[in-house]
Amino acid sequence: MAPGHRRTKSSGPAPPARTLIIDNGAYTMKAGFSSPASTSAPSVIPNCMARDRERNVYIGSQLSKCKDFGEIVFRRPVEKGYLVNWEAEKEIWDHEFFEGKAPLRCDPRETGLILTEAPNALPQLQTNCDQMVFEEFGFASYLRCPAPVLNAYNDIQAMFKAPPRDPTKPLLPAEIILLIDSGYSHTTITPLIQGRPLQSAIRRLDVGGKLLTNHLTRLLSLRQYDMRNDTYLVNEIKEACCYVSKDFKADMEATWKGPKGDRREIYETAGGIAKDYILPDFHKRTKGEMRDHDPGLAGKLKQLQSGKAPEAAEDILTLRNERFTVPELLFNPSDIGMRQSGIAELVMDSLSALPFGLWPGFLANIIVVGGNANIDGFLWRLQVEIQALAPTECIVRVVRPADPVVSTWNGGAELAKDVDLLSSMSVTKQEYDEYGAAWVARKFGGDPNWKW
Amino acid sequence: MLNFGVLEVANSTVPAAPGWAYVPDVGANASMSALQPSRSKRMRAQIAASPHETTAKQDAKILRELTALDRENHRDVSIPVPVRHRDNAGRVSHGKVTPAVRKILQSQKTFANHLADYEALSVINSSLPPSNQPVVPSPATPSTPHPPSTSKRTHRKKDAGAGPAPTPLRRVSAASEAATPAPIKSEISHDTPMKDAPILSLNSTAEPPPHPEDNNPLLVSWIPQLPTQEEMEKLLAAPPLSYNDARGPWIPDDMRKPVRHFCDVCGYWGRVRCMRCGGRVCALECLGVHQEECFTRYGA
Repeated sequence: MAPGHRRTKSSGPAPPARTLIIDNGAYTMKAGFSSPASTSAPSVIPNCMARDRERNVYIGSQLSKCKDFGEIVFRRPVEKGYLVNWEAEKEIWDHEFFEGKAPLRCDPRETGLILTEAPNALPQLQTNCDQMVFEEFGFASYLRCPAPVLNAYNDIQAMFKAPPRDPTKPLLPAEIILLIDSGYSHTTITPLIQGRPLQSAIRRLDVGGKLLTNHLTRLLSLRQYDMRNDTYLVNEIKEACCYVSKDFKADMEATWKGPKGDRREIYETAGGIAKDYILPDFHKRTKGEMRDHDPGLAGKLKQLQSGKAPEAAEDILTLRNERFTVPELLFNPSDIGMRQSGIAELVMDSLSALPFGLWPGFLANIIVVGGNANIDGFLWRLQVEIQALAPTECIVRVVRPADPVVSTWNGGAELAKDVDLLSSMSVTKQEYDEYGAAWVARKFGGDPNWKW
Repeated sequence: MLNFGVLEVANSTVPAAPGWAYVPDVGANASMSALQPSRSKRMRAQIAASPHETTAKQDAKILRELTALDRENHRDVSIPVPVRHRDNAGRVSHGKVTPAVRKILQSQKTFANHLADYEALSVINSSLPPSNQPVVPSPATPSTPHPPSTSKRTHRKKDAGAGPAPTPLRRVSAASEAATPAPIKSEISHDTPMKDAPILSLNSTAEPPPHPEDNNPLLVSWIPQLPTQEEMEKLLAAPPLSYNDARGPWIPDDMRKPVRHFCDVCGYWGRVRCMRCGGRVCALECLGVHQEECFTRYGA
């Protein structure tokens, strides 16, 4: 983005002193303030309203006060990655940002807003969003952009062990990155050039954290306890125990019990794969815990089966192949009958929509963000699979930022430090009042004739 | 679109009435017919011997399971917004509520509803002749608070040649690889067009020091040619794909691979098929467990 392309600011008011950045994910929203002078760490707020079995309702960050997550149910305003239900979202935003005792209190009339959305959003939802931001909340200025875009403002090269960028130079978005955002609702692949998405090459895999959790729930409910009303708990099990296998077939053999009457010796510990998860009972134990599998330890389920009193024992789930077959869905969605290819194949499909000359650049700069990037072994497997599909001459590098969940937010915070750049990209309340929602939609919508 | 020779007279102004929507009728719905398969012998005979042989019943089962995996809560729950926040002193006042905002707040549409609306609208749009496309208004024109989403989606990639920037075809993998210009040496970087603001530039400022082996043909490194400035601008200006178009495909290579099956009981490879329901199990022991449930479910 050359300076000549920037729109000279009309005689509007000075840009707001600080910017509220909201990375509005389906599971958590990452929110916090940034200004050229200071940036605070973002708060990770559950983007939901929850109700526990005592019928207490928790809104957003109140969920941390919840002591008993048994049978808790959720209402999420963001559905499939897109902000759909504004009634609930407004309640959460009010609680977090605008009420008297809100943790991140601000006056929207003196604050700018950067709000993220998932790529390929429906125009109607985008319009709703713009209208709510200006007509209901009245933010002073507003930038709505696809979440992957903000990552380009992070210091990408430092992730690849290159020297960090010079802080005295003006902020420029990363030249060329391929961003994989694997979140709660889905996984998107976005090639970015100079911080601008190549829209024709964006691909989406409909596998995300929610699907993985629900799949694990199903497996556990079939094989051990009925966990169908405890998805919150299953999500914690997933985060603690699941990993992406380096050798799927070998791990599968190691976890097989063997044919009838011929128990394999390796089965009990499965070469270290078998793990016990101690379930919380929300009286003495509020947090679950993962341990190595101990075959001698009799859990509650075993005691019940052998007819003893189950009083003293802990509730134990033993996880074997569930640990790696669940995240495997990111690489082989056809395992559950989905008619989609895995991430690595979709990366190549995305690149095939682009000129061949860009391939080396994208393949050497793959960044993975989102909660699923934290799964053990994910990066290694992705790199190996892409390397196998890519042209041999190309170098494939896959990295993740230090904290993949807040990476998008951090990029937004970097962007907010550059006041001129930000104000050239965002829309002020005055402009909205003057030109209307359709104009705003076109400015944010990647209109071909629009000059940023 | 099959319209039996009836041409719809241009009637693009569809009043956005609440409570109903146009839905494209795209023929027989595979999922619906799969849910209620006709139990005739003829259906059985159609099963092809492909690596993905699935019967209608199995398809329906997969579909049901995928829908279940997409759910937020196991049961249907509704958590209403707490009443005390609604309108008494606890409510945060953001000023007057405009009609548009009230409509958005009261809308109980789900994402599926919005998607169906969008699909219906785009079907209507694409069936119109291109001359009917409304001209994009200039920024100064006052616009309604409810822009018809038709105006934004006029330049979809499906109307060939309507948009100023045609989206590159999605499946150019083989073509682009075949038609790749002969790789050129990296020295060519001096020749890349340098306009006022090149989108891509090879970093030619720091030339490496010369080396006696520079001309050795075995050591020459090759990089493909960077796209030209015009190509890049065209790519960057491409409009966003629609939600459905952006969904990653099932690539043909993967389609040819046999689908992996897993034991329904223990999760090991599903090598044995239940004679009764077609479910997969790994061996006799799991088959026994499976059949206990299978036989009771179908009432034997």
